[in-house]
Amino acid sequence: MSFAERMLNIDRRIIFVVIGLCTLLPLLYPVGLPIKISQEVRGVYDHIESLPEHSVVLLSLDFDPASKPELYPQAVAILRHAFKKNLRVIAMTLWVSGTGMADELLTKVATESGKQRGADYVFLGWSPGGTAVIINMGQDLYNAFPSDYGGKPTKGQPVLEGVNSLKDVTYAVSLSAGNPGVEAWYVFGKDKYKFELGGGCTGVIAPGLYPLLRSGQLNGLIGGLRGAAEYESLIGEKGRAVAGMDAQSATHVAIIVLVALCNIFYFSLRRQARQQGSQS
Amino acid sequence: MIFLRRQMPLLITMITGLIFAAQYYVPHPASEQLLTSATKWLQIIGGFALVLGVTSLFHVHAAKIRRKEAGWGYSVVLYAGMLGTMAVGWWANGKESVEGVSTAFGWVYNFMMVPLQGTMFAILAFFIASAAYRSFRARSREAAVLLIAAVIVMMGRVPLGEYLVPISGDISQWILNVLNASVRRAILIGVSLGAVALSFKIIFGVERSYLGGGKE
Repeated sequence: MSFAERMLNIDRRIIFVVIGLCTLLPLLYPVGLPIKISQEVRGVYDHIESLPEHSVVLLSLDFDPASKPELYPQAVAILRHAFKKNLRVIAMTLWVSGTGMADELLTKVATESGKQRGADYVFLGWSPGGTAVIINMGQDLYNAFPSDYGGKPTKGQPVLEGVNSLKDVTYAVSLSAGNPGVEAWYVFGKDKYKFELGGGCTGVIAPGLYPLLRSGQLNGLIGGLRGAAEYESLIGEKGRAVAGMDAQSATHVAIIVLVALCNIFYFSLRRQARQQGSQS
Repeated sequence: MIFLRRQMPLLITMITGLIFAAQYYVPHPASEQLLTSATKWLQIIGGFALVLGVTSLFHVHAAKIRRKEAGWGYSVVLYAGMLGTMAVGWWANGKESVEGVSTAFGWVYNFMMVPLQGTMFAILAFFIASAAYRSFRARSREAAVLLIAAVIVMMGRVPLGEYLVPISGDISQWILNVLNASVRRAILIGVSLGAVALSFKIIFGVERSYLGGGKE
């Protein structure tokens, strides 16, 4: 077996160790490379920045713990920004398995920002029906969610003053890891009830949402951990996402190097085979 | 009986399909009220669907355990996990925390479900790296194009890549904004037209597979 063949059949545990080290070392010894801000992320930031105080922002946390590393920092950054701007926040989720995490993150950020449940923000929780929940909220928010996650009636809460349906929401952002998520919010929400919509998603599904972005159906898109890091940089509060970017940089470069090596060995094998073929 | 099994569902599908397709274009309060009621029904049906799903899962795994099929031990774990979570969920009244203090249900969620789902997702990175090394080869011209595009986007999406090859960020954005968006849009339009055609076929009773293939 030639060297190239041996390298192509390398034990996959070696690759696992390389990736593990590329993730671990930058987390232990961060470099802090500068992060360039993209137009997509700036779209969401600028829109929230332009909203007057006490505007109503709806944040739909449509993800579960599997996507926590990418979407949790996005949610934290957007909430910090909204609370800093004294906006009223209505949070909810379309993913039942994300309910506890969404409540925990909302409570945490609200507490550190000195905001009160019911007065500055509300967590509606989850309701069955998927996309039907969006339509129902568009028709009558109190019909869709008669009580919030804590069981308190939604009607009469100061944070919801003047809000009867999605038509009264100034800006909605869906942070999604799949379906139902950003697309559902556009198709069943924005298109009919005419509110401005921004999105956030995992890196894997971001390319699929670019058509909505280019056509203006979304006014901004926060894609993956990179998007979260950009948002953290924009609000000037560097957190988990910025810290994770060094690790992501190292793993991306490691995978590129691995792919390049694999191709070098592959072509050297092909060349060897061709030479042997011409000799015989 | 055949009328109830065949014609009746087709009739309901056709009438509701046509009414709700038209409803979108009628902003009259009565039409809006109809939509409000219908979506409330959908939410209730969604709740029942959840119960149906859980029941079906229990049936499938009960059969596996009864027949001692390969991997039946995992079905026992599934039963234990589901029944255990349901029990603590009912005990905690469905609340993960009460006045900031985590309940048993919250503990199950935070210290079992969150790390388990996180781990499942995290190990993907290792398998993707291994799979990329083994199969991402420029075997043909098309594969080479895919390979180059992937490398550029991977470089352009991280600060280290932009630092090493400054132009990679702009090229990566161009690939996502122009090439990717246009192709995705074409696929999306095709899929949407297909969905419209399928909806018409269902509404007018041409497509009947959703009725099931039971005996007449």
